[in-house]
Amino acid sequence: MSRPQEHRCDVLVVGGGTAGMAAAVELAATGIRVEICEQSARLGGAIHRQPADGSPAAGLPRALGAQWQRLSQSLAHADIVQRTRHIFLGIDSDGLALFEDRAAGTVRTVRAAAVVLAVGAVERIAPRPGWQLAGVTTAGGMQVMMKETGRVPSGRILIAGNGPLPIALAAQLTKLGNPPVAVIESGDPLRRPGAALGLIAHPHIASEALGHLARLAVAGVPWRRAAALTAIERRGETLFATIVDRGGRTTQIGVDWIALHDGIRCNAFGLPASGDAIDSRPLIVRAGDCREALGAIAAEADGRRAAHAVIAALRGGKIARDGSSRRVAGQRMAQALLSELFRPVNLANDPRHLADDTILCRCENKTVGDLRWLLGQEGLSPREIKLNGRFGMGACQGRFCADSVMAITAASRSASVPEDIEQLTGSRWPLRPVSIASLAATETPTADTNHPTE
Amino acid sequence: MRSGQFTWQGQTISFRPGETIAAALAGAGIGDLGRDGAGAGLRYFCGIGACQSCLVRADGRIVEACLTPARDGAVIAALEPLA
Amino acid sequence: MGRRQQKSAIVVGAGIVGAAASYFLARSGFSVRLLETVAPASGASGAADGAVSVASKRPGAMMDAALAGVALYRELEREGVLAGLFTPRPTLMVAETEAESAVLDGHAGALANAGVTVERHVGAALRARIPAIAPGVRMAVEVHGEGHAIGYQIVNRLIEAGGVAVERACPVHRLALAFGGTAVDGVVTDQGTLHADIFILAAGAGSAALLGLDGVLRPRKGQLLVTDRAPALNVSLHGSLMSCGYLLSKATTGTPDRSTERRYGLVIDPLRTGQFLIGGTREDRADSGNDLPAVQRLLTDALRLMPALAQLRLIRAFAGVRTATADGLPLIGRAAGLQNLIVATGFEGDGICLGPLAGRLVQQMATGATPEIDLAPFDPGRFALRRQDA
Repeated sequence: MSRPQEHRCDVLVVGGGTAGMAAAVELAATGIRVEICEQSARLGGAIHRQPADGSPAAGLPRALGAQWQRLSQSLAHADIVQRTRHIFLGIDSDGLALFEDRAAGTVRTVRAAAVVLAVGAVERIAPRPGWQLAGVTTAGGMQVMMKETGRVPSGRILIAGNGPLPIALAAQLTKLGNPPVAVIESGDPLRRPGAALGLIAHPHIASEALGHLARLAVAGVPWRRAAALTAIERRGETLFATIVDRGGRTTQIGVDWIALHDGIRCNAFGLPASGDAIDSRPLIVRAGDCREALGAIAAEADGRRAAHAVIAALRGGKIARDGSSRRVAGQRMAQALLSELFRPVNLANDPRHLADDTILCRCENKTVGDLRWLLGQEGLSPREIKLNGRFGMGACQGRFCADSVMAITAASRSASVPEDIEQLTGSRWPLRPVSIASLAATETPTADTNHPTE
Repeated sequence: MRSGQFTWQGQTISFRPGETIAAALAGAGIGDLGRDGAGAGLRYFCGIGACQSCLVRADGRIVEACLTPARDGAVIAALEPLA
Repeated sequence: MGRRQQKSAIVVGAGIVGAAASYFLARSGFSVRLLETVAPASGASGAADGAVSVASKRPGAMMDAALAGVALYRELEREGVLAGLFTPRPTLMVAETEAESAVLDGHAGALANAGVTVERHVGAALRARIPAIAPGVRMAVEVHGEGHAIGYQIVNRLIEAGGVAVERACPVHRLALAFGGTAVDGVVTDQGTLHADIFILAAGAGSAALLGLDGVLRPRKGQLLVTDRAPALNVSLHGSLMSCGYLLSKATTGTPDRSTERRYGLVIDPLRTGQFLIGGTREDRADSGNDLPAVQRLLTDALRLMPALAQLRLIRAFAGVRTATADGLPLIGRAAGLQNLIVATGFEGDGICLGPLAGRLVQQMATGATPEIDLAPFDPGRFALRRQDA
């Protein structure tokens, strides 16, 4: 069955963050009809999360502030259909892109010639006893709420984990008047002069980091390096965090809030595979942090790169080169340096050391011990671990346990067998749980009414 | 977009314009969102809808508190009855 | 063959039938190698509705087999082999129209004749028994003695309990024959030709290529849905809700001229996790995708029977590709004139119910015992098999 030509020129961009906005703008500039869908109520994504009351965002580094001006203004002037509160559910076996429209309480379908997936990264959170407790958030989660509300949580805050984000969050909290009691860092960046010197080639990163550190130093916030938060316990109103320092000494800190962050990872969880259009299936391209987590500067360039790939596929001709790929490569080098700079030296959070009763999969309430018991059977494939252990079968579809499940599995085996994490996480729709009422309220499009947009 | 009030487990919670349910609850000092059907605790965590651990029942529908704007007059409840 | 040593068996296919055959053979003293193209339960057994049920079977051979199948689950649960994996619960067959009520009454009679305990609920008694049922439902027949089992859990347990060595990622390319083509000498794999005394072919659709069953076996896809947990609602439904339409859907088996049509047979099964499983479609397709129209239709049908499901979310959609036969009956028995090969496949949507039984039947055949049920209706010899013995 041939589809009318105009359907094939329609591009759906999933995700209204940096990469998605950049891709949409670039596509629309060539006259392609673009629709951009975002799960939250406003475009911007995690980095450019806009204040809920409509006031302008503040506190971003200059380069990122300029990026938001550029993207938001281009988008406002482009002919792009914007849909917010649209949760991407995936692409069905007939190639139909599906969204839950939260405002309307229905499921929306889009038949697109191409789909750009730009759903952003997810944070890595190493499981520790008590990570599932109320009052424990991801650092990104705390940051997003702060950007939306302009408020900081009241009470004592502890930040722990690894990498530059904990410092950035600490600086923001300090600026808004509630400095954290400490930042616990499993790396030891001050003892990696080589990587630090390398960052001189990336002045925007170096100056941002130094700015944050200076703010923390002035406020007297301890940055405890080569230390790890290994357990959280709630006693009454207080969360007690156990900290193991560089010498192996253990201390406890009592706080009201704990923000965890053990890095950022690309986010292919449940996403349909990238690839060319086949039959009714659209061309699918991934862009930005969901493809490779390199931060906002890279995401903008990668969004453009993805757009050029789509344009070349839809219109024919070569992929336009505007330096986007080069910019992404530059950011990849910067991120590699940061990874080296923050390489963990305190390995107390290694999942192999976890006590059996540590929650591993929060959604299904499964523990490290449950996994170890299952691994008593030899040679289980990731899919068997998923089915029989229920790891990755819950509502988050393994977004927060898959890495640890794979690490513990690998550690239990003498021979290292490379395993495909997607066997654990799958790639089926719905990517997110969807209201049955919404699904039932949707009018199923027939072949005759499969028009891409109204 | 305006401010308003909703109820959480019968308690009146005020919210500011555009705020999500999660932000309004956090602003009111509420971090424990009860338990889900598996017995797992619910609370604000990732802020981007990925972790599915801030689920609440808003006007009868299960939604992520972090993605759902507060609505004046809404009735918000924990997924399972609180102990 | 005269040596007094342990007999060996190679089982091809680690679905529920192959796992059960391996378990029973190992228990009766065979050394068993279980060869699997992907991993245990990676095919239809891992994507099934899990009904261990007589309720929807047509009277005759399938109903008799299902009765034996359910009885075996009880036995294995009692023995401890399947401890904790078989959940007894009734099937609640419901009728929405007068015509459906008539069909259901007739079917209830047939079940009763086969010795099944059935109970008829109407009016206030129906609402009291199934509080969540929609007002439009006129009548329910509660079929007792049924249960639920999750295919991949059964497969995993049987393999473990039998101490069976599974060889994953080990596809069998063809059979190597001996004795003038009257026996199997070995199975040809990437590791070379593997030998055994007897061979069990339980490879679902993969059996076709090995035995030349192309005209006999066909893929039949079934789409299934899982909701998130709703403990209170789950507890209020004490059995699997099955629309009468399921009977009508099943009745169309074996009409290949209408094969492109998609059939729906609604089942709402309260899972032990507190979730609900909602199924399913029957489609003559081999892909395992889910499409919006099918998912919507299943949910719309489900809401018509049980409106409270509207408050829940769909958490997962999946599809199993089962192996069906041209006449709707499975193949269990010796095939293609090969004296040391037993085929057990083609169970379509009844594999979970009949899988353990099929495994024990295979063992009974392999050891020369009398099979516990009459296997004549399932004799592969009813189809002319063209063997591919290269």
